[in-house]
Amino acid sequence: MPPTAPPLDLRDFWRIAPAAILAFWGLVVVLTDVGLARRLGLETRRRVVGWLALAGVGLSLVSTVVMFWLDSLAAVDPERLQELLGASLGDYFARSGDVIFLGALASGVSVDVLNILYLVLLALVIQLSTSYRFTEDWGECLALLIWATVGMMFLSAAEELVTLFLSLEMMTICLYILTAFEKSRPRSMEAGLKYFIYGSVSSALFLYGLSLVYGLAGTTRFAAIERILTGAGTVDPGLVGNLAGTTALLLMLVGFGFKIAAVPFHQWAPDVYEGAPAPVAAWIVTGSKIASIVALMKVFLHAARPWSFPSSDMMGPGWLGIIAVVSAVSMTYGNLAALVQTNFKRLLAYSSIAHAGYILVGLAAAIVSVNGSAAAGALLYYLVIYAFSNLGAFAVAAWLARDRNADEIDDLNGMGSERPLLALCLAFLMLSLIGVPPFGGFFGKLYVFMEALNQGPSQTRIILVWLVALGLLNSAVSAFYYVRVLKAMYFRPRSGAGLKRAESAVATPILLSTLVVVGFGLFPQPLVDLMKSVAGPMLISSSIEAAVSAPPAVSTASSDVSR
Amino acid sequence: MNNDIPLNWFLYFAAASFAIGLVGVMLRRNAIAVLMAIEIILNAANVNLVAFWRYGTPAPGSGPLPGVILAILVITVAAAEVAVGIGLILLCYRRWRVADVDRYDTMSG
Repeated sequence: MPPTAPPLDLRDFWRIAPAAILAFWGLVVVLTDVGLARRLGLETRRRVVGWLALAGVGLSLVSTVVMFWLDSLAAVDPERLQELLGASLGDYFARSGDVIFLGALASGVSVDVLNILYLVLLALVIQLSTSYRFTEDWGECLALLIWATVGMMFLSAAEELVTLFLSLEMMTICLYILTAFEKSRPRSMEAGLKYFIYGSVSSALFLYGLSLVYGLAGTTRFAAIERILTGAGTVDPGLVGNLAGTTALLLMLVGFGFKIAAVPFHQWAPDVYEGAPAPVAAWIVTGSKIASIVALMKVFLHAARPWSFPSSDMMGPGWLGIIAVVSAVSMTYGNLAALVQTNFKRLLAYSSIAHAGYILVGLAAAIVSVNGSAAAGALLYYLVIYAFSNLGAFAVAAWLARDRNADEIDDLNGMGSERPLLALCLAFLMLSLIGVPPFGGFFGKLYVFMEALNQGPSQTRIILVWLVALGLLNSAVSAFYYVRVLKAMYFRPRSGAGLKRAESAVATPILLSTLVVVGFGLFPQPLVDLMKSVAGPMLISSSIEAAVSAPPAVSTASSDVSR
Repeated sequence: MNNDIPLNWFLYFAAASFAIGLVGVMLRRNAIAVLMAIEIILNAANVNLVAFWRYGTPAPGSGPLPGVILAILVITVAAAEVAVGIGLILLCYRRWRVADVDRYDTMSG
């Protein structure tokens, strides 16, 4: 049979406008830097290129907000869309929430909200990276940050394994290069190479698992994989009887585990976070983690959902047991290893390994909870708070690097008396990471753990109760090392050179992150509801159903797609 | 298709290739040799993809030729990754004068 493809709906290109603008603007930034700005002095060039990059992010943010407005209008008042955009486009946008590009990407409000989140974080990271001179190649650095974000946007919208792999690689390869950008310090180059080697091996393992999944299912689309696994599951119970399937899923877990720095795939994280320049480390810890976890949620909660096979045994034959073990080990190892750290960025790295453990508890909760999309929403809320907390902390690390050229915890000595407002902000962020009320971190952990225990009465899985107990114990243990930061700031006199005034490039990320963390800690409900509505569509089969179930005859498929 | 090579042989070959690559990544000290081993693993995945496309039964509506297309895209990504990797290895080589992964150890703990 000659290969035929159903026709592509060209109006789909409107929906990827935010990512397309960003990708194009990355080119603009790097070409401007090479062509025009080299004549300017280094400081002026840094500022000009920084503002140019921020302008591009602003443009993309405007387009994302327009998309968001159109999508919410589609849910409420579709006729208005016809008036605004004309018949064809209005009709197209009224069908918001579909998959686009023949099932490769998702679209709709959930994608728009995540895009807005990435763009806001990117704006703060770009502003942070213009705060101190860790490189002379500003155009390349900011362009790579922008392109990594394009990868993140496509990664969280992916509905298919091919798109998932490509966008994962796009994001990660940009981050490999960025880690090695501080060429004046050998630790940066070493971190870049370590990140690259660990990352490439994990990508290769992930791809091998992906190829096995494709072979077993015969398709790469998540919705179709879920349907096929459901069909086979009644005969062949999930992972236990199925060596190839187990291997495939475990290998994909290796790839994802590397990206979120879960034990035992965590070994790159301390060196990379310590070695990379602070703004780049901030982007690795916030943006790439959120995008990877959204992708992890899609693969495990949507595509591989039938194989989660939670049973009331200790571990059961599904991937729930494996996730639970990885989560428990990550939490414990991350917290125990962080207790002995003296470098601030390394401490944040081990803390982020521990937080990967808590996040995996959220993943387990989303499967067992009675209200799956609420649990997934709680997990996304936790991620947002975690991202902003870490962004603020790495902004402080950038400040230390700028003024003292080192980022040990001892360098924070005396900051409480010298710079009271920003020290207070860092204190709030540390308290949020511990999980102390009334900050956002407390509510994140509360909702995640509550959803993990919110199982049906006849199916309580004891392993999740153990996991929550371990999580609470670990949160208590983690207080010991976060408090060390507070102790250095408030109870030790200043040692060494003082910190210069934090200009807006450093102060804005810190203040904004603290505002988000404190604000959504005092009023968590709006964000939780928003995240619940974002998570819901990710976990159910979208309307690809109609196009997929028809046999691949051109006329039927084309009428389904263009509908 | 009676005299074709059976599907299993392709899968065994890919699995053996994967194992060789994995052993190579773990045991080789030269950074460029590690890169070669990574390429071997990626190639194993490619063989898997094309074999499943050729012999496997596609699910209805899986779209046109995902196996081969994905293999081509993986080759592209592997090429990009190698370019980045060689750049990073060169950067480290200029500083340390060796391409030996055991020697890159300024950070610890």
